[in-house]
Amino acid sequence: MTEPKGRSTAEDAAGLVERSAAAYASAVPVRPEDDGFFGPASVTWRVSADLSAPVAGLRSLLLQALHPLAMAGVDQHSDWRTDPVGRLAATSAYEVTVTFGDRAGARRVAQRVRAIHTHVRGVDTVTGQPYAADDPALLLWVHAALVDSGLAASALFGTPLTDADADAYVAEMTVAAELLGVPPEMIPDSVTALKRYIAGVRPELRRTPAAAESMGYLLDPPGLDEDIAELWQDIRDAAVTALPDWARQMYGYPEPPPLTAERRTEIRQALGVLDAVFLGEPGVLEARQRLTVRTRSAGKV
Amino acid sequence: MKSERNARLRSRTRKITALAALGGASIAGLAVLRRRAGSLRVERGLAALRLAARGGARYASHAPQLFASAGEHREALRNDLALQTAEDVATTLGTMKGVLMKLGQMASYVDDGLSPAARRTLSRLQDSVPPMSPELAAQVITEELGRPPERAFATWDPEPIAAASIGQVHRAITHDGRAVAVKVQYPGIAETIEADLGNVALLRRMLKITAPSQDVDALLAELSERVTEELDYRREARNQQMFARYYEGHPTIGIPGIVAELSTRRVVTSDLADGARFAELASWSQAERDLAAETIYRFVFRSLYEAHAFNGDPHPGNYLFHGGGRVTFLDFGLVKYFTAAELRPLVEMVKHLCVENDPEAFRRAMEDAGFLMPDAPLPTDMIVEHMAVFYDTVRERGPRTMTGAYASAVTRRFFDFRSPLAAYVQIPRSYVILQRINLGLFALLGELSATADWRCIAEEIWPFVQGPACTPIGAAEVAWSSGRAVRRR
Repeated sequence: MTEPKGRSTAEDAAGLVERSAAAYASAVPVRPEDDGFFGPASVTWRVSADLSAPVAGLRSLLLQALHPLAMAGVDQHSDWRTDPVGRLAATSAYEVTVTFGDRAGARRVAQRVRAIHTHVRGVDTVTGQPYAADDPALLLWVHAALVDSGLAASALFGTPLTDADADAYVAEMTVAAELLGVPPEMIPDSVTALKRYIAGVRPELRRTPAAAESMGYLLDPPGLDEDIAELWQDIRDAAVTALPDWARQMYGYPEPPPLTAERRTEIRQALGVLDAVFLGEPGVLEARQRLTVRTRSAGKV
Repeated sequence: MKSERNARLRSRTRKITALAALGGASIAGLAVLRRRAGSLRVERGLAALRLAARGGARYASHAPQLFASAGEHREALRNDLALQTAEDVATTLGTMKGVLMKLGQMASYVDDGLSPAARRTLSRLQDSVPPMSPELAAQVITEELGRPPERAFATWDPEPIAAASIGQVHRAITHDGRAVAVKVQYPGIAETIEADLGNVALLRRMLKITAPSQDVDALLAELSERVTEELDYRREARNQQMFARYYEGHPTIGIPGIVAELSTRRVVTSDLADGARFAELASWSQAERDLAAETIYRFVFRSLYEAHAFNGDPHPGNYLFHGGGRVTFLDFGLVKYFTAAELRPLVEMVKHLCVENDPEAFRRAMEDAGFLMPDAPLPTDMIVEHMAVFYDTVRERGPRTMTGAYASAVTRRFFDFRSPLAAYVQIPRSYVILQRINLGLFALLGELSATADWRCIAEEIWPFVQGPACTPIGAAEVAWSSGRAVRRR
C-alpha cells in the first residue's frame, strides 16, 4: 500500500510467498469494466510486470521507512507485529488493484485506505513532531519512493526503460498519488521533477529505531521457508544495491560490491526461480494469463 | 527430546527424498551426497533442488486449469496466449524457468513420495507453457529446413497435436507421401537454457555443501550435461534411428523411423504413430495390460543387454499401445550407451545373485561396479538382504505381480539413508540413468499391476542363460531374432 512496514518482535514470515500470491491472484480482475487508470499499453503495466518488481517493492519499503513521520504512523498504528505477512500481502493487493483493476475498483480500495488514514494520527517519539497519515506530504513521499524504486530496480535488474518511457512512467503514476488525496500540483510528473523532489525531502529523512528494527526484519525475515530464504538473500542484496548511496549510509549498510555481469545474472536467476514458485501458487498463472490476453488485445505483444 | 530428534530425522529424510525427486540429475548428486549423509550440512545444499521440484510441482499442478478457466472460450484463449515471438519464449521460459521445467520433468520420473496421480500431474508440467502460434512454428521450420512448412511438406497441419519436450508436435505429410510427426523446438529455448546453465553461480551457491568443490562441480556438470543433451534434436534423431534399426521387424516393439533429411537441431521428423495413451490402459483388460507390460520389459532389458543402450525416459507419455502387446516407443532424447566394461559388473551381479546364488561373488561384483566401497565393515548377508529387493521379481521362477507398493518399496530402499549400508554405497556416474529408468520402469509396471513370469522372460534375455521362449511374445521374438541374424549376414 502506501505505508512502509515496520516490525520488531513480530510474528515470523512463514507463508510470505503463498499469501502474496493469493493476494495477487485475487486482485487481478476477472471481468474489468474498463482498463483502469493505466491500461495494457501503459509503461506502468510493464514496470509492474517486470522481473525486477520484487526488488522494487523491497527497495521502496526501505526508502519509505526513512521518513520518521511515515514510519511512526506505521509503527504506532499498523498490525505489522501480529501479522507481518498479512500486512505485506494487503499492500501488494492494493498496488495490484490500483495498477490492473478497473477505475471503480481502484477508487474503491483507495477510498478504503483514505478512511483508515483519517484515524492514523499521533506524535513521533523520535522527532517529537505530530503526524497524520492523510498529510499529503507523507503520502507524496511514500508515492515518490515507490516510483523511484520502479525506475531503479528495472534499470539494474530488469528491462531498463528508455528516458522517454521513464518520464512517461513517472507521469502515469501521478494518478496513484491523487487517488490517495495528494493535490495534483504537488506530484512530480517527470524523472527530473521526481529527483528534485527526493533531494528536497532528504534533510527530513533519518533512520529511526523503528525503521532500523522493521527493515532489519524485512531484510532477514524469520521463519521463511528454507528454500525461499535462500532466494531472499539475493532479492535483499539487490534492493540494498539499488538504494541511493545516501539511503544505504543512513541505514549503515556496507557498500555493496560492484554489480558485475555475473552477479546481475545470478540475481536475475534468483528472481526467475522466485517467480516460478510464485507462478505455481493457486490462481497466479490464470491471473497472469488474464493480463497477457488484455495486453495482446491492446496490440502490445 | 527423543521425539524432537525423531521429528528432525524424519524431516531430514523427507528433505533427502525430495532430492530423489529430481531423478537423473539428483541421483548423480546422490553419489556425491550419500557419503556425507550423516552431515546436516547436506540439507542446506538441497535448497536449489527442492526448489526446482517445488517450482516444478506447483507449476504443474495448475496445468489442467490452464485453459479450462475460459470455458467455451478455450480455443480463443489458447490462441491469445500462444507464444508469438522468440521474445515470448524468453519471457516464458527464460531466467531459470526452462531449467526448472526440465528439472521438474526429471522429477516426474522418480519420486517415492509421489502418488501415481501426482506423478502424472508432474508429467504434465510442460502443459503450463502455451503452444507456439502457427506463425512462430512456421518460422522455426523455415529457419531449420530452409523452406516454409507448406513447401517443406506436401501437407502441413498448423495446429500442434501435442506438447513435446521444449517444443510441440505437428502432423504433416512428406512429398513422397509419408505421414509424419514433426517436433518443433521453441526458438531460443536452447540458448536460454544453456545461458542459465552456463552461469551456475546461483545453483552453485544453493548447493553450498561444504564438499570438495570438484564434487559440486561434478553434480553441476552432470545436471548441465543431461539437460543440454536434450536440447539438440539431432542427438535424439540418431538415437531413435539406432533403436528403429535394431528393432526393425520386431513382433511387438515399434519405433517410428526418422526422416533424416527433414531433421535438424531444432526439428525432428519421424513416422507418425497412433495408438492408445498410457492413461487409456486403465480401461483395458488385465490380460492386455500384462502383454503391454511384457513388451516394455523386454524392450528395456533387450536394449540393455544386447544393444548396450538404455532409453532413459520411462515416461508414461512415451508409449503408444495397440493391443496384443504391441507398443510403439517414442522420445529418444535421453539414451545412455554402455561399454562392455561398464555393463559387465551389472551382468555379474545378476548372475551371482539370481542364478549362481553366490553372495560373496555378488558382493565382489558390487565392489567392482563401484556401488559398494571395498572392505566395508558389513556382513555379506546384510548386503544381500539390502539389495535383494531390487532383484525380487527375477530371483525365482513363477508369475509375479508388479504393484505400486513394490515400486515404492524399491524406491524407498534405494533412497534409504538410515540403512547401515548408506555410508558405503554409491552410484557411479555411468549408472545414473540406469537407476533412473529402473525406478521409473518399476513404477510404470506397478501402475499396470502387471503379472508375468519375469524371471523366465529375463532368462530369455540374460546373455549368460539365453533360455528358451516362455511366452507367445517370446516365441515370436525368437523368429524375429533369427531373422535378424540372417539379415545381418
